[in-house]
Amino acid sequence: MTVTLSASVPTTSARRRKPVNRSRVAAWIAVAVIGLFGLAPVYWLVVTALTPDERAFSFPPSLIPTEITFDHFAKLAENQQLFGYLVNSVIVSVITAVLSVIVSAYMAYAFAKFRYRGRRSLMHLVLASQLFPQALLLVTLYAVFSATGLLGSYTALILSFTTFTLPLCVWMLKGIFDTVPSTLMEAAAIDGASRWRTLHTIALPLAAPGLIAAGLFAFVRAWNDFIFALTLADPARQTLPPGLVHTYLGEFQTAWPDLMAASFVVSLPVIAAFMFLQRYLVGGLTAGAVKG
Amino acid sequence: MRKLTNGQFAWLLMAPGVALFLAIIAYPLVSALVTGFFEQSLVRPGRTFVGLANFADLLGGDFWPVLRNTLVFTIGASVIPFVLGYVLALALNSGLPGWLRGVFLFPWVIPAVVVSFLWLWIFNANYGVLNGLLGTEISWLGQPGTAMAAVIVTKTWSSFPWMMVMLLAGLQTMPKELHEAASVDGAGTIRRFRSVTVPHMKGIAGIVFLLEFIWNFQHFDTIYVLTGGGPAGATKTFAVAVYDTAFKGFDLGHATALGGLWMVLLLVLMVFYLRKEAS
Amino acid sequence: MNTLNRRDALRLLGLSTLGVTALAACAPDASGGAPQGDTAAKAFGFTSWSLNEEAQKAAVQAIVDGYAGNEGVKITTASFPYNEYLNQVTLKLRGGQLTGAIQLDVAWLGALAAMGKLRDLAAPAAKGGYTEVALSSGQSGGKQLGLPWTTGSIGLIANTALLEKAGVDGVPATVAEFEAALRKVAALDGVIPYAAATKAAQLKDILPWMRTFGSPLLDGDTITVGDEPSVAAVEWYKKLYDAKLIAPDVDRFDARALFAQGKAAFYDDAIIARGVVASQAPDKSLADKMAPLSRPVLKAGDSPQALLWGHVIAVVEGEGADAAADFAAYATSDTATVARFFEQVKLPPTTTAGLADPKVSGDAFTTEWTEKITKTATANPFWRYAGYAQIETAIAEQVQAVLVGDSSAKEALAKATETAKGLQK
Repeated sequence: MTVTLSASVPTTSARRRKPVNRSRVAAWIAVAVIGLFGLAPVYWLVVTALTPDERAFSFPPSLIPTEITFDHFAKLAENQQLFGYLVNSVIVSVITAVLSVIVSAYMAYAFAKFRYRGRRSLMHLVLASQLFPQALLLVTLYAVFSATGLLGSYTALILSFTTFTLPLCVWMLKGIFDTVPSTLMEAAAIDGASRWRTLHTIALPLAAPGLIAAGLFAFVRAWNDFIFALTLADPARQTLPPGLVHTYLGEFQTAWPDLMAASFVVSLPVIAAFMFLQRYLVGGLTAGAVKG
Repeated sequence: MRKLTNGQFAWLLMAPGVALFLAIIAYPLVSALVTGFFEQSLVRPGRTFVGLANFADLLGGDFWPVLRNTLVFTIGASVIPFVLGYVLALALNSGLPGWLRGVFLFPWVIPAVVVSFLWLWIFNANYGVLNGLLGTEISWLGQPGTAMAAVIVTKTWSSFPWMMVMLLAGLQTMPKELHEAASVDGAGTIRRFRSVTVPHMKGIAGIVFLLEFIWNFQHFDTIYVLTGGGPAGATKTFAVAVYDTAFKGFDLGHATALGGLWMVLLLVLMVFYLRKEAS
Repeated sequence: MNTLNRRDALRLLGLSTLGVTALAACAPDASGGAPQGDTAAKAFGFTSWSLNEEAQKAAVQAIVDGYAGNEGVKITTASFPYNEYLNQVTLKLRGGQLTGAIQLDVAWLGALAAMGKLRDLAAPAAKGGYTEVALSSGQSGGKQLGLPWTTGSIGLIANTALLEKAGVDGVPATVAEFEAALRKVAALDGVIPYAAATKAAQLKDILPWMRTFGSPLLDGDTITVGDEPSVAAVEWYKKLYDAKLIAPDVDRFDARALFAQGKAAFYDDAIIARGVVASQAPDKSLADKMAPLSRPVLKAGDSPQALLWGHVIAVVEGEGADAAADFAAYATSDTATVARFFEQVKLPPTTTAGLADPKVSGDAFTTEWTEKITKTATANPFWRYAGYAQIETAIAEQVQAVLVGDSSAKEALAKATETAKGLQK
């Protein structure tokens, strides 16, 4: 056994070395080309953020900045308001993500593991609701929130964000619960565990990476929202996207360098969080999504 | 305590979700759709029932170009990032260092509005860096054809990273043995991709594509900031048209009627999709 | 026992659908109704986009703090981005979420007046000593709904140094002279002769040119866009566009940036232009080279066209309205306040006394502007319609279609008018 194996190893690797290298080269080329597309704008964002105001509009622009300034970043540190927007964004996005995941986990579990009347239609309705025009919902949501006195509150923001995170999370989590083998649950039932306990002690822990992944998606969607936040939040609870627009795009002036500096800085913590959490994305989503 | 049936237990689990769904999605939607049958202004109190007049107006004009723009945008902004994301995922999966993946996330977490401003800045006809690089004087956002392309490029930039992450995740669950077995059988890279990778990735690739397609269908921010639906209406999609009609024109009747037509279209697509899925 | 049978379930589903529909059918019309709240309340809100404009927020805040300190009232401020301001104010006004004083662009007054929630400010307007043209900017439907805060105009600004360099002598007074001047400037390398707005958002800048060519735009309630003069104006614009005398894809921000770089000889802007351009310009002496000029006329002797522009403060009837109206009068007509405000932000005041204040009258650019441009400025006739922005957009989009070569001027304007007619409500 050992002999035959070791004998075959050199031949295989000799035969395969060349294609492996060739595909490695192709891989690097693909990464480089797409990387250029992906990162050149980021580079330009940073360069613009470092350009003094009076040079920002020169044409043709110099690709390598000849004159740089950190004024725009220094100004950020003094901007209390922007920090407030950042805090609001974090609060609202985190609560939206957590709320959506909790509510949809139960819903998705019911969809995935039980068969009952109304299941199919409801499931389709919830999934289809991702397609519902936000602009259309906005008109009524505004009236409802204003009638209930919720307008301007974090609650209004969170609920409105939930209109798109809830269907998304239900969809993702249903896929994940589908992959949790029903035999595990049957075994638990035989052991005398209640359905409630089975759900909490077996299904949810197994789906944990998926829950985190769904939460991350919900977080990003909430983090990015512009229209709902602009319309439903009062100035003290405004989130970053409208806040940035608000701060830098005025009636008379567009402060490009300041806007770029601010965008860069506020994106950093989110990227850091993602680098840290991305293994959950990987682990969590594949489970559900691969089997679809 | 009487033991609940499985169905009842399931409904109990769903209760919070269903309540939330009814309150913030179903009710606002139905209420908005009802408005489509009225002439109602955002700035004046009261409304008049006008039957199908709003729908007739739309079908007689605005609806069709908007439909075409929406389809062009949705298909373009779903296919291109999907291909880019797929290629990148395949490349990163072939043993390149893992930190590369994190670098590509940047475009995804910059708020969409800011992404749009960044590209607005890049595409600017008179002092934008793109014209500076190419030595051209093209008005990217000022001509119908290039404006749609610019909008699609921008959306592509902000969405290919997440598609890459998802697809890469799929690739990493692919058992190595499958590939090894295939290559022992003498299958080349392309053959192996077609016969091993594609079937394995079918599920996740379908979901990623479908999600992006759905989101693009009602995408608003990028177009709104970049072109506002212009020039000459060349990039006006459903989302932008509904928003403009409601909040710029204050014409709730036509806005919601357009939303209604959009919903009917979706319904047709969905029935078609479900039929296909069932068969 | 507890199992719902199929019929029950269906019934339940049907009932809830019915319930949702019924709720939906009656609930959304939450607007209207009498104004509520104590009009004599001592606290009120002030909504203003200037509170978030880098260049103005300190000066505006100072006015707010000054009044609150003097009168012992509490003013809650709020703000929205300028580009979303009208939508947001409309929504919030409709929902009854907005009280007190609100800053408005003169263009928006008509749209908001239609909601019937603004207080008639005829009494404070009569006492304030405002100029005639300023007062007219705050009127809609025969009512004085806003107190004018600043009144100016959108007019043409030239870079005199560039004109000199191109060999243009004298200020072009007619359209023909203007075009000749543009052609001379075009010979300079990398200069856009006239950075006219060509993006839909500000393509409404073409309206004064249509008037220059002799179209009234609106005759009674008949939109005359599409008549011969307006078609001629669009064809002229298209000619400039094709000859690269005006550039594609330019909005007001771009125009300012180009002008600040010394890359545009003319552009349209409000009086605020000088400060904004100067802050962006690498050439620190640019502000001195900027000159306002009367819009060229079709034939000598015509009256030059300019678009009235300005900010007013309106008051929402209801909670705190009395104090808010008093605040509006203070902010716009207290001579010391408006003179200081002018000094800080260069927005010209609206009262005779304010304009006569040495701080204002000593500013050459402002007096020249008032003399050459604001004097003959008129309101955009479409402002009186709630859907004015959409009317302007309809026209702008069609003009854009002409510029990019999709349509002929005649066809396009006819189509624009067709759309606009549906929006005259």
